[in-house]
Amino acid sequence: MNRNNILIHLALAVVLILIAAFAGQLNRWRTQWKHRVHMIPTAEKQRASTADEIALAEGRPSRAELLVKFKSGVSSEAIDGILERFHDRIEDRIENDPGLDAIDDLDDADVASTVAQYSALPEVEYAEPNYEIELDAVDAPPFVPVLPHDPRFTDQWALANSGQRGGKEGADISATRAWARTTGSDKVVVAVLDSGVDYTHEDLAPNMWTRPGNLAPYHDNELGTIDDTNGFNAIDSSSDPMDENGHGTHCAGIIGAEGSNDIGISGVNWKVQIMPLKFMNAGGFGTTKDAIEAINYVIDRKKDGVNVRIISASWGSTQKSRALEEVIRKAYESDILFVAASGNASTNNDRTPHFPSSYNVPNVISVAALDRNDQLARFSNYGVKSVAIAAPGVDILSTWLGNQYEEKSGTSMATPVVAGVAALIVAEHPRISVDDLKKKVLASVDPLAELKGKIATGGRINAAKAVD
Amino acid sequence: MSLSKQDAVEKARKDLAQRLNVDASAIKEQAVEDDDFPDMALGAPEDGEMSGQMITSGWRIRLGANGQSYEYRADKNQVRLYKYKGKNYRL
Repeated sequence: MNRNNILIHLALAVVLILIAAFAGQLNRWRTQWKHRVHMIPTAEKQRASTADEIALAEGRPSRAELLVKFKSGVSSEAIDGILERFHDRIEDRIENDPGLDAIDDLDDADVASTVAQYSALPEVEYAEPNYEIELDAVDAPPFVPVLPHDPRFTDQWALANSGQRGGKEGADISATRAWARTTGSDKVVVAVLDSGVDYTHEDLAPNMWTRPGNLAPYHDNELGTIDDTNGFNAIDSSSDPMDENGHGTHCAGIIGAEGSNDIGISGVNWKVQIMPLKFMNAGGFGTTKDAIEAINYVIDRKKDGVNVRIISASWGSTQKSRALEEVIRKAYESDILFVAASGNASTNNDRTPHFPSSYNVPNVISVAALDRNDQLARFSNYGVKSVAIAAPGVDILSTWLGNQYEEKSGTSMATPVVAGVAALIVAEHPRISVDDLKKKVLASVDPLAELKGKIATGGRINAAKAVD
Repeated sequence: MSLSKQDAVEKARKDLAQRLNVDASAIKEQAVEDDDFPDMALGAPEDGEMSGQMITSGWRIRLGANGQSYEYRADKNQVRLYKYKGKNYRL
């Protein structure tokens, strides 16, 4: 054989090997496809009832189809005998896994009992429902954003960032997606512990908490009896929590300015009850003692049956108070989440703690601020151990004194975003515990490379994930 | 109470004169600048004080006396002396 012949034979050999490999792959594809179409027969899909479609969409088996693994050594005759006894038939035999069969129950019995029936047999290694999960994605309805009728909604980049004013499209909390699931509930009460709230603001008034008629005015052994019709004022223990600064009104609007009312803006919640608590004065500062008194008021009202589930705390300092920490722990024991601003000093809270956000109490969520480009705000504190989550907090439009609206920046503004999302979760899951609520909030983030190694979750709150 | 920038400077000047026990004319205005502060206590909280964590616009006022420099911070609601002998004071 000369040199040319050797080369020709070698080339032929390579071609034959490639053809064989391709044929083998084709066979594998054919087998996989066969399993797939057998387990989800087109004809059966077409005649599936509405209940079946719902079951499929929910990832439940559409009918009594199950996978049964027979023990090795069980003969095909024995299997046929079992099938005949149960009035079932083999839908498909899984060739790659001897003994594993997809079985169709001709009696259309419920899956659980059929699985139990097979599991009880000595010839069976295991039996389980054959979930048809793939159809879920195929049949899922397309996402339709829910947009409120509020004239200034387009300025609310935190809720829906379309890239307005140089922002990054999609750098928002996915509110319009969340609202397809829930827009909040007037059964959920969120306490805004702040400079009070302008409860007469036309965009807030319908969502303000007022003391229910069947609840007696608040009584404290030291403070006496206080008519808390509109909330609580700890500064002078009066009945009036009217905001003289604007900060508390701004935070309240972020949580729950009435949505889709053709006025101003929309809150994260279209419907909610905002309980105003005033402990900061016209200058926007207050004492630890008054903060404690106001938190005690919330705890007492919770015990009286008011469904207050969240305290939003857009304030703080670097001074630690054991008394404040203890009353926040009492709030935890009363099943109340405490959402707190991480602070605006551009510092690392792991090294220089900021309180109350840095208290190591299970109900505390510390919040950092993001700008409209998903960047940590230049002022925001951070801390991979002590700051939990981030939310929009720069140029946030919200309600202000005298039926006005203003844009403000700070972790003060990021905090009520997270408190608002927590309220949406409670609207969807009214009986959720404070521990689970916190877990759900922290699990509902869009990870951002910018935040990796800076805050614990490394992400921005996503309302749609939170209510999913 | 709504303070103007000039009101705030005057209030700061009087306060410093009193603290140093000197005539107000001995207090020199070194600089008055518009600035943003990290919180509503203008980054100068007193002991036991909590403040809203909102960026707050105001004025940074630098006064001089006896060869020393002193910083006041103010906005329309308040005037504060920043780190005077290690402590903050709200006027």
